[in-house]
Amino acid sequence: MKIGSFYLEKRTHVRWYIQGLSILIALLGAFGVGALLIKTTGANVGEAYAALFKGAFGSRNAFLETLVQSTPLILTGLAMVVAFRARVWNIGAEGQFFAGAMAAAWVSMSLHDTLPYPLLLAAVLGSAMVAGACWSLIAAYCKIRFNANIIIVTVMMNYIILFLLSYLLSNTWREPGSYFMQTARFERITYLPRFFSSRLHLGFFNALIAAALVYLIVWKTSLGYSIRAVGVNPVASQFKGIQIKRTILTVMLISGALAGLAGGGEIAGLQHRLRLDISTGYGYTGIIIALLGRLNPVGVALAAIFFGALVNGSTHMQIFTGVPVALVQSLQGIVLIFLLMSDVLTRYRIRRMPHAD
Amino acid sequence: MLSDFLVAAIVAGTPLLFAVLGEIFAERSGKLNLGLEGMMLMGAVVGFQVGLSTSQVGLALLSAMIAGGAGALIFAVLTITLRSNQVVTGLALTMFGMGFSSFVGKNLVGEALPETIKLFFQPYPIPFLCNIPFLGPILFARDPLVYGGYAAVIIGSLYLYRTRCGLHLRAVGENTAAADAAGIRVTLYQYVHVVLGGILCGLGGAYLSLVDVPAWQDNITAGRGWIAIALVIFCKWNPWVVFLGAYLFGGLDIIGFRLQRFDIPISQYIIDMLPYLVTILILVISSVRKSRGSAGPAEMGHPYFREEK
Repeated sequence: MKIGSFYLEKRTHVRWYIQGLSILIALLGAFGVGALLIKTTGANVGEAYAALFKGAFGSRNAFLETLVQSTPLILTGLAMVVAFRARVWNIGAEGQFFAGAMAAAWVSMSLHDTLPYPLLLAAVLGSAMVAGACWSLIAAYCKIRFNANIIIVTVMMNYIILFLLSYLLSNTWREPGSYFMQTARFERITYLPRFFSSRLHLGFFNALIAAALVYLIVWKTSLGYSIRAVGVNPVASQFKGIQIKRTILTVMLISGALAGLAGGGEIAGLQHRLRLDISTGYGYTGIIIALLGRLNPVGVALAAIFFGALVNGSTHMQIFTGVPVALVQSLQGIVLIFLLMSDVLTRYRIRRMPHAD
Repeated sequence: MLSDFLVAAIVAGTPLLFAVLGEIFAERSGKLNLGLEGMMLMGAVVGFQVGLSTSQVGLALLSAMIAGGAGALIFAVLTITLRSNQVVTGLALTMFGMGFSSFVGKNLVGEALPETIKLFFQPYPIPFLCNIPFLGPILFARDPLVYGGYAAVIIGSLYLYRTRCGLHLRAVGENTAAADAAGIRVTLYQYVHVVLGGILCGLGGAYLSLVDVPAWQDNITAGRGWIAIALVIFCKWNPWVVFLGAYLFGGLDIIGFRLQRFDIPISQYIIDMLPYLVTILILVISSVRKSRGSAGPAEMGHPYFREEK
């Protein structure tokens, strides 16, 4: 590809600082465009970003709240790491999140007086993982049995589960006498323990454990080897004897379970009732987090905390400078676009054309 | 009753018609742009905003087309020139469109469109054609943009199958290296048709917010961009079939609303799932069929870099 007298030459070797540089460029670019968007609202850019930062890290409580916001994002990000490492485009984390939340809500509503305390929490979170895995199984089946486009199927499943939830919340699950579409508040026994007298709940530590497990599974087991091999070269892996369909199925189940756990954790740790707005697109944000974290669990945790900070800080920013919270949502897409652009740096060297023809 | 339903199906199918037609052009050039949802949202919000503040239909539609085209241009630069992954780039575009539209649309919720715009989109019966029994009033007494949709499909089909450019476009999508060797300007064809796809998507989005709904609501497209990608497969990349696919899904889109009157015992939420369920069904069926021979452009989704061949 020639651009004027410059051309791109493929790098054989990508150094770590080039990776870091590319992420830095992406973030700077996104905040630059964000500044333009803030200007259109008439607010002062410096003040808005200062308020954003203060809301996210300004105090001990603000920082803990940032971790609270990052909890579901770590898990949906990890869900994407497992899937994308195998190049299985699971865009259905949003629906799998809701499947997990619904299962957790159901267990909270129907089993709260039959199971003892720690067992009940295990049932709440376990059912969330199973439900997330089952919801993604439908898409996996369409892919494996019929070779249907998994991207579109998973996106459709995201919409379908929202209608299913609306149906339940308008009928059997609706809080009696409530104006809102929501369940009644669950019994206190179904709540996850909280720490540091803040809203930080057990779910955050679950997410960190999940990150460690994902690392072990993807890099230290033979299953992980198959996952990465299928992602890099499906044809070669098939010749090597890796069963591609079985790998896709496993990947989708793990991915769905992680996203489901995110939903269950939000229900049991934070929301304590089921509503339609418990997710602000955590499943979709997970995609960006996974890519920004370079499909690696540590990177994902850091990226999730960064996005958690943006979400948390944006409320503060809206209150004090009037810039709408939706700014952060548009920043997410912009970060990804800039990341893709600056990734050229990591994969290619920009060279000047030699003058010999 | 039936004719009411068909009229509503045509109106609801028109945004899909533009989006599907646009994506056919992009995919025929070998580029799989999954950013339809984002480009439609950008067109919808920009069209609505401009329509609201200027009361000019022409300006609203033009700016919506520019917004969609600009989104597609980002995709084209990233995937064609900077060689990024088409799937990821499409997703990025969708997420950008979702965020951008809800940021811009914050102040548009609850705003009513000016009379001039509503007046422009009233039905204009076409003389003679609208006198055809039954079908005439349904097909030929519609608003100007529905006619624009008819024209776009017809012109698009003729372009693809009956012109030299269309032949070249198909060649680029089927075998990029061969087309390149034959002297076709591959990069130019890809840029032009990806951007054209975005322009049509933006127009579809604007029709959604200006005519079909017509109001601003967050995430107004509700997955129509994704459904459009599935419809491209349903149409087998043939623009003529877009008529069938788009209006069929327009019908599915409004069937829940229409059935409310009949007091059927099924919840509306369950009926509203239909378009999404049928989309999955279509993907499954066409994948089964595909194994017996009718696939998309051979190069679709593959990157092409001359010096890496």
